Amino acid sequence: MVVLLSLSIYPLIYSVTISLQAQTAEGSVWSISNFKRLFSDSFFLTAMAHTLVYAAAALTVEFLIGLGLALLLNSQIRAKGFFRASLLIPMMLPTVVVGVVWRLMLNPNFGAINGTLKHFGLNTENFTWTASPRLAMLSVIAVDVWQWTPFVFLVLLAGLQAIPQEPYEAALIDGSSRWQTFRYVTLPLLKPAILIALLLRTMDLLRVFDQIFILTEGGPGFATETISLYIYRTAFRFFDFGYAAAISFVLLALTNVISTIYIRLLEAKEAS
Amino acid sequence: MKRAGKYLLLLTVLVIAVAPVYWMLTISLKTEVDQFASPPSWFFFTPTLEHFYDAFVMRSFGQYLVTSALVAVVSTASALVIGTLAAYSLARFRLPHNLDNKLSLWILSTRMFPAIVTAVPLFLMMRDLRLLNTRAALVIVYTAFNLPFVVWMMRGFFAELPRDLEEAALVDGDSRIGALWRVVLPLVAPGLAATAVFCLIVSWNEFLFALVLTQTDAAMTLPVGIAGRVTQYEIKWGVMSAAGAVAIVPILVFALAVQKYLVRGLSLGAVKG
Repeated sequence: MVVLLSLSIYPLIYSVTISLQAQTAEGSVWSISNFKRLFSDSFFLTAMAHTLVYAAAALTVEFLIGLGLALLLNSQIRAKGFFRASLLIPMMLPTVVVGVVWRLMLNPNFGAINGTLKHFGLNTENFTWTASPRLAMLSVIAVDVWQWTPFVFLVLLAGLQAIPQEPYEAALIDGSSRWQTFRYVTLPLLKPAILIALLLRTMDLLRVFDQIFILTEGGPGFATETISLYIYRTAFRFFDFGYAAAISFVLLALTNVISTIYIRLLEAKEAS
Repeated sequence: MKRAGKYLLLLTVLVIAVAPVYWMLTISLKTEVDQFASPPSWFFFTPTLEHFYDAFVMRSFGQYLVTSALVAVVSTASALVIGTLAAYSLARFRLPHNLDNKLSLWILSTRMFPAIVTAVPLFLMMRDLRLLNTRAALVIVYTAFNLPFVVWMMRGFFAELPRDLEEAALVDGDSRIGALWRVVLPLVAPGLAATAVFCLIVSWNEFLFALVLTQTDAAMTLPVGIAGRVTQYEIKWGVMSAAGAVAIVPILVFALAVQKYLVRGLSLGAVKG
């Protein structure tokens, strides 16, 4: 417990201190200049926007595909275990390896994607993926979807399998249509699993670092720089630890607010 | 017809999920001429092991591999020892004011903490302690990082056990620790093993802390070693792929081993699959 405390609380206190200090000629003085700077820092604001776009887009797609797959595999399917196990592969890989895999796939010159498209007669000259300012964001989101949809799928599948048969039999007797059954039986009963999946994914998406670092390093230019990458750049390229700590607090506040909302929703669900 | 559509859809998803990884494996086995072939050759090429030799014998990837394994095993072991004891007390002793539930929730929340937020102060702390570029720094950080998870998972497994068993042992004159060691632990062994495997996977895959805390060959883990090469200008794709291929082998073995507990572990015990 003491170890845990010292390693989770102490860094926090430490970063409060450094974020509230400014380096001057006479040494460090207490100041809120690091926090004031946030509001006029266009890099920070763009990184924030990137993070939100990235999280929202990836979350939506991952949820829809994950739910679809879970419903599909929850029905009568042969070789269910085989499909389930194979779909897990992307999510278990080290994110660094995912980065390598997709750099190989998306490489404009010899990557498998462009090579295959060319084979079918498409002009791939403009498909430079992670090297193009316009496609880079799309590419990194696609990679996240590739890696993490299986997670959403797995949690939702577990949720689906925990639903008892009776409500479905009742719905069948009442003559409800398939859509009605899904809307009024499946979805409400699946809600806890959905909330858990979304909560964990949202937290991971907001702090995304590894894949983007490997795939684009936040580039081209700053087209895919998210908050975590910006903090990294501020701290370990410019060695401005105080400002990096200040940005960290914004990220922390954001994840806190969002996770609190989810947890409230979950508790409300459990109470009712 | 509808059935066929279903399977076709599943098969497509399967190919999308697996093909990129397969592609990397082929690159690791191809000569440089074959790597740049157009159209890309998915199946037919002459395999070679030169990239594996190049990566692990000629370059330092062998050393990174040892570091990764060492750090993962040591940090997992220490997290298990401390975490299991903490979890047992959380599951068995009631604290006043519902404090044990709050404590557990707080433990969970440390898990959702954005890593980069702690990376900056941890870097400065390790610098002051002169632990930068040491394996010890990684072991300490990973232990702390895995602890909340161990506590949370093991607490769930302990809570599912009936108390009568240990109480019988206590009546027979066993100490608390004795009862835990001889009666309780053997019963939660599968859960303990699954938790251990999850810690191993997390430590093995971890990137950000390793990147921040280690920059020298002597202390670098495999992911950092790979990343360092990927972001250079001239990339040896075969070497990268060979290193990547080796990095995923233990993960695939582990993942298969804990399939049964996968959902529970990944959703932090929230969904019992």
